Amino acid sequence: MPSHDAQHEPAERMSRRSLLQGAAAAGAAGLAVTAFGAAMSPAAAAASTTSSAPAHGDLKASAGGDVKAPAGPVVVHVRNAKSGDIEVFSGTSQTRLRDKDLAARIVRAIA
Amino acid sequence: MSSHREAPEISKDPVADSTDVYAFVSPDKPGTVTLIANYIPLQGPAGGPNFYEFGDDVLYEIHIDNNGDGRADISYQFRFSTTVRDPDTFLYNVGPIESLNSPNWNRVQTYSVSVNGSSLGSGLACPPCNIGPLSTPDYASLAGAAVHSLGGGVSVFAGQRAEAFYVDLGAIFDLGNLRPFENLHAQYGLNAFSGPAAGVNATNHLNVHSIAIQVPISAVTIKGHPTIGVWTTASRQRVTLWDADRGENVNSGPFRQVSRLGNPLINEVVIAMGDKDRWNSLPPSDDKQFAHYVTQPGLAALLPALYPGVFPNLAKLVASGKPRADLEAILLTGIPAGLIPGFTNLTGTVLADMLRLNTSIAPTPPKKQSIYGLVGGDAGGFPNGRRVTDDVVAIELRAIAGAVYNLVDKTFTPDAAADKLTDGLTPASVSAPLLGQFPYLGVPYSGFDNPS
Repeated sequence: MPSHDAQHEPAERMSRRSLLQGAAAAGAAGLAVTAFGAAMSPAAAAASTTSSAPAHGDLKASAGGDVKAPAGPVVVHVRNAKSGDIEVFSGTSQTRLRDKDLAARIVRAIA
Repeated sequence: MSSHREAPEISKDPVADSTDVYAFVSPDKPGTVTLIANYIPLQGPAGGPNFYEFGDDVLYEIHIDNNGDGRADISYQFRFSTTVRDPDTFLYNVGPIESLNSPNWNRVQTYSVSVNGSSLGSGLACPPCNIGPLSTPDYASLAGAAVHSLGGGVSVFAGQRAEAFYVDLGAIFDLGNLRPFENLHAQYGLNAFSGPAAGVNATNHLNVHSIAIQVPISAVTIKGHPTIGVWTTASRQRVTLWDADRGENVNSGPFRQVSRLGNPLINEVVIAMGDKDRWNSLPPSDDKQFAHYVTQPGLAALLPALYPGVFPNLAKLVASGKPRADLEAILLTGIPAGLIPGFTNLTGTVLADMLRLNTSIAPTPPKKQSIYGLVGGDAGGFPNGRRVTDDVVAIELRAIAGAVYNLVDKTFTPDAAADKLTDGLTPASVSAPLLGQFPYLGVPYSGFDNPS
């Protein structure tokens, strides 16, 4: 069961789906840290702008809705692929996810 | 520079490296306190064409605890923004900079100030660096125009200043040598020194970047608690990514503290290497875990070893294992009433490294000041806050050597050398004169004249 722990300043939250799309598009950037947004490819930008807008603290509930693209870069940090420990950074916020499947897919994207 | 390059990680990030904090009741405006946080250590004044500046990507803060819990009740926050007017020249300036809005100044920095998140001012101009007689022909006036009044009795300044902290870094970090006593140093059998020598001010003719704010005492204290705890922090966003396509860093995520400074020299010579970076990342309220470094300081054990026969009573005290309640009071809780007649700056029982200033104590007139502060009988100086001229190196050396341990243990007799320790420097070791008014720190040394 994926879990998520938002820390500090509330801001845009990432949907699991947009995270996957963005990570896949920018997968070549690196294994541990993936950045997109200001520096991402057009394909990745399109993917993120059509992704769902999550409700605060509930990633699943937001799936399928419109998402407001973050103004700046979004950075994904897979802290531990085995345990699915993931951090997502955007603006001055961060979100902590625990999702083994998502981590595995990000790793596959960069492999 | 009481905290310059003091920890492994921050030594690689000078823009965020706090060097000194001062907090004192303003001598010319005794209803206010002046708080100064210096950053960017050891600036060579000629360091162009990209002269020194604050980090646009750094959150600088000056914190005040006014209820003794080691947590910030008031935080003044400073954010900087740099504008390049003409990216097609390599020059910092294309002609003399005679005003803060001079079109000749190509790389301009402004800043915003807020308190606990509420804006006090924005678009405030920093002065340029002091370059030389052609580029900054009347630097004192130029920088004077960068003192901003924000209303409510608040004034701010942010920009380059002459380093006012004096310290013989070259000798002290050469295995604890104090030049005035170097003939007494063990010298490891090398016989390098045969007699005493004068101190050398390693920071003379160097500059720093200062953030100074002057605020009414009533704005930072609560009723019945005249003593405030002061410290500065610098924070960076958690992620910095080099965007090779655009040739710049991309930052993301919440800000996290990377630098901290309250009492001078604590992270520099009291906290051990393995804990320095972590200490920098934590608030004073978490300092209980570091208290053993204060109550069993490594430097107290080193002094008798480095200077054989000079500190016999200190050696016995160290060997006894007794915790140094004197240092705990000076650095972590404030000095309780009853130890020094008529004085206290106790903030409570929370062990927290903060620069404690009892704002109810009037500034000492200049002629009655002692650079040794409280240990020199002057309650207007360190460790009651810290004035720019206070000899914090000598004060802390003397305290660590046991010069005031008899305040908490009447059976202890300080060694004769304890209250004579010094690195041989005084405020006269600083070439740049101080100002008589806010921001008090002197006009920075110009690149044209330094080094000369």
